[in-house]
Amino acid sequence: MSDAAATLTQDRQRLELSALSAPAVIFTVAMIAFPVVYTIWLGFQSFSSTGQQSFAGLANYAKLASDYEFWHGLWVTIALYVLSLFLQLVFGVWLALVLFHAKRLPGIVRSMFISPFMMPPVVAGMMWLVILDPSLGAANYILQSLGLPPSEWLASPTWVIPTVALIDSWQWTPYVALIVLGGLQSLPPSVYEAAQIDGASPFKTFQRITLPLLLPTIVTAAILRSVDLLRFFDIIYITTQGGPGNASNTLNIYGFRVGFEFFNIGYASALMLTLTAIVFGAVLAFNRLRGAVAW
Amino acid sequence: MTDAPTTDRWIRHLNLLQLVLAGIIIMTPTVWMVLSSLKPSFEVTAYPPTLVFSPTLENYVELMKTTPFVSYAVNSLIVTIGSTSLGLLFGIPAAFAVSWTRISWPAILTLAARMAPGTLFLLPWYVMFRQVGMIGSYTALILSHAVITLPIVIWVLMPSFDGIPRSVFEAAQVDGCSVTRILWRIALPLVGSGVAVAAILAFVFSWNYFLFALVLSNGDSKTLIAAAFNFIGEGSTQWGALMAAATLIALPPLILAALVQRWLVSGLTLGAVKG
Repeated sequence: MSDAAATLTQDRQRLELSALSAPAVIFTVAMIAFPVVYTIWLGFQSFSSTGQQSFAGLANYAKLASDYEFWHGLWVTIALYVLSLFLQLVFGVWLALVLFHAKRLPGIVRSMFISPFMMPPVVAGMMWLVILDPSLGAANYILQSLGLPPSEWLASPTWVIPTVALIDSWQWTPYVALIVLGGLQSLPPSVYEAAQIDGASPFKTFQRITLPLLLPTIVTAAILRSVDLLRFFDIIYITTQGGPGNASNTLNIYGFRVGFEFFNIGYASALMLTLTAIVFGAVLAFNRLRGAVAW
Repeated sequence: MTDAPTTDRWIRHLNLLQLVLAGIIIMTPTVWMVLSSLKPSFEVTAYPPTLVFSPTLENYVELMKTTPFVSYAVNSLIVTIGSTSLGLLFGIPAAFAVSWTRISWPAILTLAARMAPGTLFLLPWYVMFRQVGMIGSYTALILSHAVITLPIVIWVLMPSFDGIPRSVFEAAQVDGCSVTRILWRIALPLVGSGVAVAAILAFVFSWNYFLFALVLSNGDSKTLIAAAFNFIGEGSTQWGALMAAATLIALPPLILAALVQRWLVSGLTLGAVKG
C-alpha cells in the first residue's frame, strides 16, 4: 500500500470514528450544553411580575448573599450530606467486610442486598412514610415496646434531617458496601498472609493494612454518593416537601420551588448554578484526595 | 495456639450473625411494604400493628378501580423503553469509538451531564418545550430521560469493548472491513452480555427517575413515579392502596436487577471499580 493510500484509509477511519460518537455528542450538547449556557444567561436576567425581562447583572447572585432561605438551604444540604455520607461509609465498610468474610453468597442473597438501591427512591420514601408515621407507624410501636419514647420522625423539625439521612442510608449503604467489597476482593492476599505470620490481631490488620489499602475505593464511593447527596431531592419531595416548615428544604428543593412554584426563573437559575458549582467542587476535591491516598 | 479452630469457628458464627442482622435491617421495610399491601384495609392502620392476618388483594383491586394506574404504567413503559432504546442507539457507537480511539472526552461530557443537578437543565427545558408546545409529550419525556440512560450505556460498555483483543479488529481491517462494519458485525456480538447489563441498568434508572416527569409530564402522560405523589395525596388514610402502588412500582426494577445482579457492581460504579 502506498503512503498516500494509507493516509487516505486513516483519514477515512478517523472520519468514521467521529461519525460513530457524533450522535451522542450532538445529543448531549443539544440537551445539556446549550441549556446550561441558556441557564447562565437566565441567571443574569430579571423578570418583572408582568413578564418583562431585563438585564440584571449580578443582582440574582447578590440576592443569594442576603437570602436567608439560601443560607438555610445550604446548611440543610451540608448537614444532610455530612450525616448521610458518614453513616453510609461507616456501615458500608462494615457490611463489605461482613460480605467479604461470608465468601460464597448465593444469588438470592446478593439480590436481597442490592434491592434497596434498585428500587425507586420515591418508593423508599413511600414505604418509610408509612413505617415512620408518628401515630400509627410500626417504628414508634417498636420504640415503645422497647420502653423508649416515640419520635415524631419526619414531622419533627429537629429530627427530620437525621430521619431523611436514615432513609437514604437504608437505601444506599448496600451500594457503598458493594463498591468497597469490589475493592476488598482486588487486594493481594499476600498482605494478609504477611500480617498473619507477624501475629497481628484482626483489628490491627484492618486498621494498619486493610483500611489504608481500601482508602482509594472508599473515596470513589464517597464521590459517587456525594454527587447524589448534594442534590438530595426525591425522598424529601415525597415525604416532607422540604418541611416541616423549611426544616428539610435542601438547596435542590428550594431551587426547584423558586423555579417551578414561584416561577422566578432568573433567581432559580442563579441558585441551580451555585448548587452545580458546589457539586463539581466536591467531586474535584475528592478526586485530589483520591490521588493523595492512591497506592 | 491449641484453641485456634474454636476461635475460627466463633469468628465465623459472629460473622454469620452480623450478616443475618444486616439482612434483617435491609429487608424488613420492604417486607413490611408488601405485607401492608396485602392486609385488609381496616388492618393496615391497626395499632399496635398486626403481623398475622388473612391476606387479600382488595388493596390492589381498589388501586386499579380508583386510579388510572394501568395508563400511568403504560406511560412509564413508553418513556422508559423509548429512552433506553435512544441511549443504546447513541451510546453503543460512542462507547465503541471512545474505546477504539482512547479519546475520552465524549464519554466525560455525558458523565458531566449525569453529575449536575437535574433542576439545572429542567428550567431551560421547561421554557423551550413550552415554547414548542411539547410539555406533556412522550417525546419531551423520552429525550429528557435519555440524558440519564446515555452515560450509563457508554460507561458500562466501554470496559466491555476494551476487553476485546485488538488483533480481532486488525484482522477484520486487513479483510477490508470498515470501522462501522466491525462494530455491528464483530464487536457488538462479542459484548452481548455487556449490552444486556447496560440496557437493564438504563431501564432501571430511567424507570426510577422522578424529577423530569414531575415537570415535563401532564395528566395524560404522567409516569408511575410522578403519579406516586398523587397516591400519597389521596391516600393519607388509604395506606393499603398506597403500599400496593409502591409494591407494583418497585417490582419491574427489582426483577430486572435480580437477573443481572452478578454483573451490576462494575456497571453501577460507571467503571470506577473493576468488579
